[in-house]
Amino acid sequence: MNFDALTIVYILEIIVGGLLVGVGVHFVPVGGAPAAMAQATGVGTGTVQLAAGSGLTGLLAAGLMMSVTDNIWPILASGAVGAMIMIDATMMVGGWIYAYAVGAPFASAKVNYDPITGYSQPPYVAPGTVGQGIPTVSFVSGTIGGFMGGLGGALIYYPLMMINHNPSLSALFAIGIFLVNAVLASWNIQGTIEGFHDPKFKRWTKAFRSCLVATLILALVAVTITGGA
Amino acid sequence: MTVAGGAPTAPAAIPAEKLRIYGLGGALVGIYLAAVLNSVLDTDIFSVLAAVGAVAAAVTGANAVRRVCGYGIGTGVPSIGMLALGMGIVGASFGFSTAQQLGVSMAGVIIALVYAMVFGYIVGTIANKVLGFGIPIMEEGLTDLSGAGAMAIIGWSYAISGSLAYVDLVDKVFNTGYLAIVFICGGLAILHPFNANLGPDEKQDRTLVNGLMVGSLAVVAVGLCSLATLSAAAALITIIIGAAAWYYFYVWYYRLVKRDAAAVVGTGLLPPSAL
Repeated sequence: MNFDALTIVYILEIIVGGLLVGVGVHFVPVGGAPAAMAQATGVGTGTVQLAAGSGLTGLLAAGLMMSVTDNIWPILASGAVGAMIMIDATMMVGGWIYAYAVGAPFASAKVNYDPITGYSQPPYVAPGTVGQGIPTVSFVSGTIGGFMGGLGGALIYYPLMMINHNPSLSALFAIGIFLVNAVLASWNIQGTIEGFHDPKFKRWTKAFRSCLVATLILALVAVTITGGA
Repeated sequence: MTVAGGAPTAPAAIPAEKLRIYGLGGALVGIYLAAVLNSVLDTDIFSVLAAVGAVAAAVTGANAVRRVCGYGIGTGVPSIGMLALGMGIVGASFGFSTAQQLGVSMAGVIIALVYAMVFGYIVGTIANKVLGFGIPIMEEGLTDLSGAGAMAIIGWSYAISGSLAYVDLVDKVFNTGYLAIVFICGGLAILHPFNANLGPDEKQDRTLVNGLMVGSLAVVAVGLCSLATLSAAAALITIIIGAAAWYYFYVWYYRLVKRDAAAVVGTGLLPPSAL
């Protein structure tokens, strides 16, 4: 194993990928148990699960593209689009369930006006809750989060593949790096977040620093791993 | 009552230091014993010892989850279990790959354990210093957790590959995709016990016995995987020992649940005047 210029590029790619995952998680609207009971906006599950779901879809899409070409751009694009499709489908079906099954209005108590449509929010928010549905801005924010997560996952997967030429090893290793960054970011969020309009979003710099240190150590190790035989 | 062994009364809490030594040490012993016996006797039927060692590591992990999550981390227990396996998988593949490049494949387990624990300590420091958790045992807990994740993955992977060589690991565990099963079953063994038992009446023995139970199920799962990679005898031994252990710990766990459950007291029918 020799550390040439290309290896340094690979390390940098993995670090940037990890940072994209860590910051991208902040865009993904997650409400946990309160959202499952329609007392908060967002998807009713943990941040890590949702981020991992979109990231893994992006990883699969990137892996599929990588089986066809070695060009980095289509690989990154398919990773990002794959993750976006997954998160958008989740948000859309979640919205249907809120609207047609639970009968809850789309509203958020964290802002007075929807930043995208400009509609007033407080009249539709049930007292004692922080909103009920998945408003437009959460959908848009989730799409951005999916884009960043998928791009980050693909950016981790690509250099690993170039180093060890083993798709399964690279994918599982990428999942490992992905999970470490997603968990650190979700610890920073401390549970629920609605997206870029959420006050908690301002804390992203802490996650950025955490993910930088963690991914740096992982990347230094990752580039030494060979693909077996 | 003496159902399926175990102390009849609730044992005193086991200190974390002891569990760490038993769990991580037990996993090391199990894996190396399996490796030595397999190579000396030129067989693969001792692979089950590594799987049993991995259960010990998973219990250490479950105890670390219990200690850290007892403070409340705000994101739900599953996230920390996924972190353990995420850190563990990186540590495991780094350990084995480095050992192979150095030409001493037997050292892979030690390298993986040391790297995983150092990395866990760093992540714990980040969580406290940068993210501002302020959990006094965060560094210690994540060190345990990361080491346990790595040892669980290595132990169960060994039960599938039957060899400590990196090439066999990649060929039989990574490329076949069985590592995904190890990942999920191992993650469950670490994160599920506290997730299932948390609450004001959470007791250490009940949580850890639940960990042993879920870990035994993981042994059955890797036994099923090893049907395709090892000899039928080795796979069957792993499956049978896993299933027997699961039954044993299931009965034990059920007894502890009954011990800790609130009493249901019959109050009789309502008096006629109330109807």
